[in-house]
Amino acid sequence: MKAAQAIAVRLLARWETLLVVAIVGAGIWSTTLSPFFLQRANLLDLLTPYIFIGLMAFGLAFVVIAGEIDISIVSNMAASVVCFAQLYAAGVNVWLAALIGLGVATVLGLVNGALVSLLELPSLAITLGTLAAYSGLAYVILSGEGVASFPAGYSKIGGGYIGKELPIALLVVIALALVLGLVLHATRFGRYVFTIGSNREAARFSGIPVARVRMTVFAVSGLMAGFAGVVYVGYFGSARADAGTGSLLDVVTAVVLGGVDIFGGAGSMLGVFLALILVAELRNGMQLANIQGDTQDIVIGGLLLAAIIAGNLLRAVQGGRIRVGPLRLARREVVEHEATEAIIASKLAPENLKGR
Amino acid sequence: MSPSLRGITPQTLAAAVLRLREFGILLALGAAVAFFTIRAPNFDSVGNWQGIAQNVAIVIVVGVGETLVVLTRNIDLSVGSIVGLTAYLSAATFAHYSGAPLPVVALIAVAIGLCLGLANGLLVAVAKVPAIIATLATLAIYRGIDVQITGGGNITAYELPDRFLKLASTKPAGVPTLAWVAAGVAVVGAAAVRWAPWSRDLYAIGSNPEAARFAGIPVGRRVITAFALSGALAGLGGFLWASRFPTVDAVAAKGFELDVITAVVIGGVNVFGGSGTMLGVALGALLVATIQNGFTLLRISEFWRLFFNGFAIVVAVTIDALVTRRLQEALRRRRAEALAARHLEAGA
Amino acid sequence: MHRWRLAPVGVVAGAALATTLALTLSAGATTNKGYKIFFLPKTTTIPVFTQNAKGAKAAAKELGDSVTYNGPTDVSGPKQVPFIDSAARQGYNGIVISTPDANAVAPALKRAMAKGVKVVSYDADTAPDSRTIFVAPSSNKLIGALEVQWAFDETGGKGEIAILSATPTSPNQNTWIKFMKQELAKPKYKNMKLVKIAYGNDEPTESAKQTQALVQAYPKLKAIIAPTTVGIQAAAQELQQEGKCGKIQLTGLGLPNDMRKYVKAGCANKFGLWDEQALGYLATYVVHNVIAGKLTGKLGQSFTAGHLGKFTVAVSDGNKPVVVLGPPLAFTPQNIDKYHF
Repeated sequence: MKAAQAIAVRLLARWETLLVVAIVGAGIWSTTLSPFFLQRANLLDLLTPYIFIGLMAFGLAFVVIAGEIDISIVSNMAASVVCFAQLYAAGVNVWLAALIGLGVATVLGLVNGALVSLLELPSLAITLGTLAAYSGLAYVILSGEGVASFPAGYSKIGGGYIGKELPIALLVVIALALVLGLVLHATRFGRYVFTIGSNREAARFSGIPVARVRMTVFAVSGLMAGFAGVVYVGYFGSARADAGTGSLLDVVTAVVLGGVDIFGGAGSMLGVFLALILVAELRNGMQLANIQGDTQDIVIGGLLLAAIIAGNLLRAVQGGRIRVGPLRLARREVVEHEATEAIIASKLAPENLKGR
Repeated sequence: MSPSLRGITPQTLAAAVLRLREFGILLALGAAVAFFTIRAPNFDSVGNWQGIAQNVAIVIVVGVGETLVVLTRNIDLSVGSIVGLTAYLSAATFAHYSGAPLPVVALIAVAIGLCLGLANGLLVAVAKVPAIIATLATLAIYRGIDVQITGGGNITAYELPDRFLKLASTKPAGVPTLAWVAAGVAVVGAAAVRWAPWSRDLYAIGSNPEAARFAGIPVGRRVITAFALSGALAGLGGFLWASRFPTVDAVAAKGFELDVITAVVIGGVNVFGGSGTMLGVALGALLVATIQNGFTLLRISEFWRLFFNGFAIVVAVTIDALVTRRLQEALRRRRAEALAARHLEAGA
Repeated sequence: MHRWRLAPVGVVAGAALATTLALTLSAGATTNKGYKIFFLPKTTTIPVFTQNAKGAKAAAKELGDSVTYNGPTDVSGPKQVPFIDSAARQGYNGIVISTPDANAVAPALKRAMAKGVKVVSYDADTAPDSRTIFVAPSSNKLIGALEVQWAFDETGGKGEIAILSATPTSPNQNTWIKFMKQELAKPKYKNMKLVKIAYGNDEPTESAKQTQALVQAYPKLKAIIAPTTVGIQAAAQELQQEGKCGKIQLTGLGLPNDMRKYVKAGCANKFGLWDEQALGYLATYVVHNVIAGKLTGKLGQSFTAGHLGKFTVAVSDGNKPVVVLGPPLAFTPQNIDKYHF
């Protein structure tokens, strides 16, 4: 009995549980909004337009958990998409071209990683720069109207269906979420990412190859931008230098709503995936009820706030006190005065967090 | 910190300049100006510098507020939306009451911005929502409200009184009015950050929130103040925006937060809180505007221009970081040597 | 059992439900006997589309149809896709769309067409196989040629000119620029030299910066052609601030309301646009007739669009099937006060 209770309490205290509750709540709301919401085809198709955003969010999650940020991720996707499209237009086999696109994205991610990790530069400043640079690169490679009409076999990854209703892209995103979840939560590399995000100095002292892991994290982010590009082209059938414009905010929303600590050191793949579902579900429900686009934005923003505040209240009540600290998405703060001083003095801290 | 009067020699002066945190940015700015003066036609003309000043002004006004927030280890992503909303409301006020006095409308814009900023501050300090999430949400919410108020329409320059539009077009003493306002805001901000007791608290909070709390600093109140001021300055920015870009619709200043944050970050403000100066932010904004302007003047392809813009920012950040690190190490070594020498003297 | 432990969940769920129900009230859709038409602009935040919607609603009232006007808050093809899918799922009879990314919306439009939804594009076309008819504001060739002619008239046909466009990927602007270059190649324009195509991204800030840079980088510049409503007014504002009105001529496409101030100040003496309300009105008539089966996209079919009169389905600029609203209106200091949109 006690054990069951303990498990229940631990489950309740998890961010993911709150997201599931929110998903159910949003589902009930959407059902009242529109009779079309509960149709099986609609439910299965819910995520498809947002899968490229989810894939980028998965990649960004690694970077954020390691205590960094990658603002350039959407530009990176655009750059890899146009490389891929130009190669395809030049007659290269579509799959080979897609593979090269993935490679390009990974290299661009690595460039971010090298600047941040080898030169010890702040990731926010660097990726604000590469945000513009990669976007420019995309226009240099493919200016103007872009490439369309990709072979049907290829478009299936993004826009194909099994048995008319089950989107193939849904399987792609679930598979990648599983793989990345395993990498993050069940490998030594994943453990290193968390440790570095929690306390980089400590990680270094404990013999973790900090520089290498930090570079790898950016490479993963790049690779996922590449995958996002592959799905993007498959689903939308359009490859232009401005691919993904205006998606950065959505990507960051998925990551932070997914419970990833913006200061690093905490977060889960499951959380990001659930956050993606929640946002997609709400958008879909409101879409089907023809709620205006700007009202949709307000509701999503409100939800973001409500989710965090509800979490705070939940913990307050559970803790049996009204006053609590910030919601502990397992966020840790450097308390030791000396440690902070050391970090500031050695200028190791200025990177981290945030974006648009 | 500052050398005592009688000790001023060329050496100490040079050392003081080198000790400036902004030395790296100055160096990057100098390099950019030198490059463009040689390569870009008309870059060094008065008209062009007036243009750069014009472009950088609103970024600095809003950037000063953003800096206050970032110093406390928070961030305000909603400034673009606040600028957009207050720009529309300022324009709408003039459109309905063409006789409204400028300072009154400016105050209304500032007050609205203050309220929106206050809401951010309360969310962060009282509801304990992490700043990036809170302001990401209000970015969407404030913009959504803006779209609903405009109803998909706009206010055009024709509906606005000339004296309001003149605000952006006049150039007292050869410097655009907007730049004067920006300089004023930056100086006041720098002075406040240097001397006001509450602003020193901001640095303390940003360096170490827990320690600040133990030291008896009213952390919550200071954070709320920082957000409120950031909102108020964004409100002022919105008022200026409507004068500079007088056809105001719901997309006004969309994405502007990215420009502001770029200036703040390039200006050397530590996004992990606790360090940064207003001079740095102003220089950061100037550096970005100079780079953008310079490449536009170079007769190169538009697409390469975009690439070089970003590339130059990366280079500038690198120069700044490397120079600062070198200087700090050199200073530390010199201080250690001096200390050792004094020990030796004492020993002898 | 300590049942209170579960209470918080109940509180949260209850709160969510309450908000939910409150918000539901705002989403009521009225149905009537006519056709249900979904009017999807590039974005709902830009005034020209609000104008289109006004016209569309007027037409729907005459036809007894109902129009839902909704779209993304960013200018983005991919962000239009969920709106298309949702309209198809809800059983709308027709979609009228203007898109910034012709290819990105095509697969979704084809999915909708497969479900029996009729699609008409207007303003900015989609891929031809993803709509029945395109409603063009005017002939693209004519728009491009006219803008060059206006610049010719204003400058006396001599000197350097520049183009201030929207984004490098905007299909409309790119097409017009192509035709501008064709027109400029004619011997009549041998003394006019196109020195630069700048992109203001349809943002006032970037457009102003680009105008500033054009003025600085090309001291001999005689005219700017801005084929975008955002660009032209930002350029006008900038030229006025720089005191360049009259020295550098400004032409292109702009809304009379946006430009009135600058026309009166002598900063723009000739520019054009079509009646955006009429465009939305016409597009709604076209989609109504397509749903009714009277228009199938066969060339030569004709129909009457309310007070606008008779139109014929034709080929325009090599694109088909197209219904063209008509030649653009030209605004001058003499006639600008007749127009209020």
